[in-house]
Amino acid sequence: MKTLILGLGNPILRDDSVGLRVAQEVEHLIPANPDVEVGLDYWGGLRLMERMIGFDRAIIIDAICTGASPGTIHLLNPDDIPTQRSSSAHDVNLSTALELGYQAGAHLPPSKDILLIGVEAADVQTFDEALSPEVEDALPAAVEAVMTALTHNGDAP
Amino acid sequence: MKRISIDPITRLEGHGKIDIFLTEDGEVANAYLQVPELRGFEQFCVDRPAEDMPNITNRICGVCPEAHHLASTKALDALFHVDPPPTAKKLREMFYSIFFATDHTTHFYALGGPDFVMGPNAHPSERNILGVIKKVGMDIAGKVLKMRHDGHHLIKMIGGRPVHPNWGLPGGVSRGITEEQREEIEALGRDAIEFAKFSLQLFNDVVLGNTDYVSLITGGLFTHETYNMGTVDENNHVNFYDGMIRVVGPDGKEFAKYDAKDYQEHIAERVEPWSYLKFPYLKKVGWKGFVDGMESGVYKATPLSRLNAADGLATPLAQAEYERMFDTLGGKPVNHTLATHWARLVELLYATERWVELATDSEITGEEFRVLPTETPDEGVGSVEAPRGTLTHHYWTDERGILTKVNLIVGTTNNNAAINMSVKKAAQGLITKDVEIKEGLLNTIEMAFRAYDPCMACATHTLPGQMPLEVTLRAPDGEVIEHLAQNLD
Repeated sequence: MKTLILGLGNPILRDDSVGLRVAQEVEHLIPANPDVEVGLDYWGGLRLMERMIGFDRAIIIDAICTGASPGTIHLLNPDDIPTQRSSSAHDVNLSTALELGYQAGAHLPPSKDILLIGVEAADVQTFDEALSPEVEDALPAAVEAVMTALTHNGDAP
Repeated sequence: MKRISIDPITRLEGHGKIDIFLTEDGEVANAYLQVPELRGFEQFCVDRPAEDMPNITNRICGVCPEAHHLASTKALDALFHVDPPPTAKKLREMFYSIFFATDHTTHFYALGGPDFVMGPNAHPSERNILGVIKKVGMDIAGKVLKMRHDGHHLIKMIGGRPVHPNWGLPGGVSRGITEEQREEIEALGRDAIEFAKFSLQLFNDVVLGNTDYVSLITGGLFTHETYNMGTVDENNHVNFYDGMIRVVGPDGKEFAKYDAKDYQEHIAERVEPWSYLKFPYLKKVGWKGFVDGMESGVYKATPLSRLNAADGLATPLAQAEYERMFDTLGGKPVNHTLATHWARLVELLYATERWVELATDSEITGEEFRVLPTETPDEGVGSVEAPRGTLTHHYWTDERGILTKVNLIVGTTNNNAAINMSVKKAAQGLITKDVEIKEGLLNTIEMAFRAYDPCMACATHTLPGQMPLEVTLRAPDGEVIEHLAQNLD
């Protein structure tokens, strides 16, 4: 089962970088495995869908803003995201992008095999390379969530 | 005064929202596009080496990192007083043409186009790229995905990284291209020209073939007579990468033509208490408020503005489409905001033709792609046409090249006043006493600014939370009279 672990975010926009930080830590924890690729990216929507082409499963880590306490870990499926609102001025949302990919016949993970790990952000509007303290403190739990998800489906490192 | 809030704007990044203030009589008194504030950019940059800027500024925006990368690289050329060799300039422009073609494709098919192909009153679940496919045919999905894939592939190949290029250097670029790479760039560019022609044909058949849409485009609801800005070459043809900034008046006559480094002589920025985003205007005309006309310093810098501000396009197929557009819409300048979508497709064709033109240039595989800077840095301005308008970077450093001050005018900011005027005019035309406010109506108002392809909070990429479209009617004291929350699923 070819798996993509992808951290999303902007490295210079405070808590928006949390997905990148988690993916970087996960990369150090898992031994080289041709069936598991760890990557960093900056785009949602169409670009995210295109990044998942060729994989059977994806674990995506990103900052999320739901109003929960900063640092809260959310485990979501693309179908759980309750709005058509895109996170980009220039894009469509993930479920629309995935549907486009499926319709076009692209080899993509089925929706049930895409796990979105959202780390609740405190501030995604300030230019800064550091995370807010509550989000920094949540890094181990977010890394653990990725490792659990990876192991749970039989691809133990 | 009642207030209607559209929050957030569907398919717009960040937490931008429209506030429409109603009078007691139910008429629109005012309408504002509110944007989120990204804080601390200048402080983040100051005290860093200027050479870091192309790799920092390309992260300001998740939509057009290539535009920031090149504006920043050109600012470094000026800062270090170095003129890149011809091969470097051509490589940069070719790279940029590929980016432009990819970017305009995405906007038309994913964002702006669905309003026309599906119609402004279509249900949101259909008014997207999936709806377009359903209506036009599955074939189009493959074409759009191939166009995007080819563009991203070449941007990575030339620029060094898939999204945020790390290629531009003061005096040139970090590497050139091989003959084998050139052949691939040319071949994919020829495919891209065909795709652009197909897209214009689609616009012709679906949009121009529908008299309702043509009426919508040319109607007064979406028309504003402002100044137009764009970058032009020595023949006054549009150029995305380099040239002089030309401003043409509502009467179609040239008002100003200047080097980007002199932008502060021509552009001033106004601050309004209700917006974090500044409002640039033409200094020599002056700020007269959010109004049209020769006497108002409001200007636009959009694909349509670029075509209005130029005398033509430098490639043959795009020039023919340029002439057809202006002939159809009654000559220059065209002031219909929604015609920006058409202009974007004309630019798409130009970008693809320019891509191939440069890929077949004898100097493009040259090995002299950088001149080492030797002068002491002090101050530099770099400018390109971003897809959303003229993008200007201005840096000041000490003699070691450490940044002391940074100023940016991004594409969307140029259009800030015009966007607000467009939203207000559409709202005034559509919302009147006793009119029921429905999603389709709000979408038509959104179309007024979607044409500008605005990019407000361009750096955030958090997952969307539970934020459906919201409409709030408020009494003058702020009390909520009615709250409509429409989940767009």
